[in-house]
Amino acid sequence: MGEINHECTCHGNPLVPQVVKVIKITQETPDVKTFRMQTPDGKKPFAPLPGQLGMISVVGVGEGMFSITAQGEDWIESSIKKVGMLTEAFHELAEGQEIAIRGPYGNHFPVEALKGKDLIFIGGGIGLAPVRSLIRYCMEHREDYGHIDIVYGSRSPEDLCFKEDLFQNWPKEKDTRVEITVDRGNETWEGNVGFVPAYVEELAFSPENKKVILCGPPIMIKFTSEALVRMGFAKEDVITTLEMRMKCGIGKCGRCNIGSKYVCLDGPVFNLAELDELPDEK
Amino acid sequence: MQLKKTDLTGALKILAADASVFVPGEIEGIKRFVLWDGESDVDLGGANTQLPPKDILFPCTEKMYNYKMGDSIEIKEIVEKPRQVIFGIRPCDMRSIDCMDHVFLEKGFVDSYYSRKRENVTLIAMGCTTPERTCFCDSMGLDPNNAPNADVMMNDGGDTLVLEAYTEKGKAVLEALNGLLSEGGQAKKDTACTLKVNMTPELPEKLAGMFDHPIWDEVTRACIGCATCTYVCPTCYCFDIDSDNHGAEGTKFRCWDSCMFSDYTRMAGGHDPRPTKKERVRNRYMHKLSYFHERYGQHLCVGCGRCVEKCPAHMDITMFIDKAAEV
Ligand code: SF4
Ligand code: SF4
Ligand code: FES
Repeated sequence: MGEINHECTCHGNPLVPQVVKVIKITQETPDVKTFRMQTPDGKKPFAPLPGQLGMISVVGVGEGMFSITAQGEDWIESSIKKVGMLTEAFHELAEGQEIAIRGPYGNHFPVEALKGKDLIFIGGGIGLAPVRSLIRYCMEHREDYGHIDIVYGSRSPEDLCFKEDLFQNWPKEKDTRVEITVDRGNETWEGNVGFVPAYVEELAFSPENKKVILCGPPIMIKFTSEALVRMGFAKEDVITTLEMRMKCGIGKCGRCNIGSKYVCLDGPVFNLAELDELPDEK
Repeated sequence: MQLKKTDLTGALKILAADASVFVPGEIEGIKRFVLWDGESDVDLGGANTQLPPKDILFPCTEKMYNYKMGDSIEIKEIVEKPRQVIFGIRPCDMRSIDCMDHVFLEKGFVDSYYSRKRENVTLIAMGCTTPERTCFCDSMGLDPNNAPNADVMMNDGGDTLVLEAYTEKGKAVLEALNGLLSEGGQAKKDTACTLKVNMTPELPEKLAGMFDHPIWDEVTRACIGCATCTYVCPTCYCFDIDSDNHGAEGTKFRCWDSCMFSDYTRMAGGHDPRPTKKERVRNRYMHKLSYFHERYGQHLCVGCGRCVEKCPAHMDITMFIDKAAEV
């Protein structure tokens, strides 16, 4: 399991959020937007570790748990896919509007244990959001990590998130390869067409000195994990994140349990061996 | 120390001078804890209250913060630290407070709303004299005559109540009541539950290995998903968070929720890890008897029997325990 960090910036009451301003909105895909947030006096609301979560609210509408996908000197970012009433309210926000956030919550990717390893990041759809926080971390501490492969897939070329990172920023990084696949191409798409699990098998990674970070829709995680195990990866070396419905984010409200674990507190980061220990209720 | 039962009202008056005192009473025919009105006689015997006193520390609806919407958002936390006394709470309900303490005060985060009430409450417990036919607390490892986490423990002594202070808060209570107390008193401490359940020390671990056992199909069939069991349970602590808007202002509040409701774990995209009542009832029994034990080292069922008594479908956790112990 990842390392736990409970340095919450909640002024003493972890359930009361702080106000933040949306300073930039990026339309990633037709249904995903990235929101850059900053406190009204221009500061970073909190400094999450890669993989940690924030409970973000459109005040008066509701709050939802999202992965903090990136952070800078004085901002943090989350990417939100439109799936229901709350996320639609997020998509209606304009730059300059205020929302609220509490966190950071949950454990985080084991950045220490990954040191010295070659890393394979595998993302599907919006699942690249949590992975991106760790990719960025590794790029910032590039000398601590070995070769980096980023494998990413989405339904179609339009549905690829973080296009600037995928096509411009990351391929330029030292010792880094970006491999992209889509379920269905279009007239202009020249890259690979096919599902992520099959593509991963095609790329024929050897498990030696490698760690895999795998996030995406449950079905994609299932088939990709099976492919990785077939390729000889140990379950301890495949790290993923879980999603559950959440309310409190601090292990109190009981909403997000899988067996005796609370995903909001003990997760969201687990390796496949740890997931095998949990009851099958994911 | 002992207090004459005829002096009980006098004692309550002293306690009520600077705190809200909750006592076993009745509202609309339901036996439950009520705010003492300053004069009524209080009956500490008989069956335990039908509803637990859980809402005194964990209200069924609790305001968290107020907010103003618009161009600039304002958020104002609601802080309440009421001085409260729970008088006559039984050992099973006292153990449920112990469970709540684990949940709300431990593991990384302290729940401010709970802790403010918890710090300011005085718990004056009463040893049970009249267990119901559905009471099985002693099978769950409790002593119906004693509540170790009470501030003051009271036991029946015939014409008197025999009082013992367990904490500093409790000592302060006895000091305040000093004028009404006298030395001595013979407490009756021989109450035992009539319902015995086969809750073995191995069961939590055994259940953890029974996740896929066919027993779940059978024991979950009758449930109609009404959530009564979780509502009357002194240890069930699940809550929802929601908002209540009035124009450009509003209040964020939390309220009791139940893992027995069909939409409890359903996610925005439609996926539901516990889609049928089989998974939901299994989660409830497992949480009570296995998961909580794994996480906090004690059972989340205190054997109060309320869910057994109140379930309209006659679901019975004691029968489940006996069945699980046998497979
Ligand atoms: S009270 Fe009985 S019927 Fe209602 S949810 Fe609980 S077990 Fe099911
Ligand atoms: S599960 Fe039933 S018997 Fe156990 S504490 Fe809750 S209401 Fe009482
Ligand atoms: S969201 Fe409340 S316990 Fe995890």
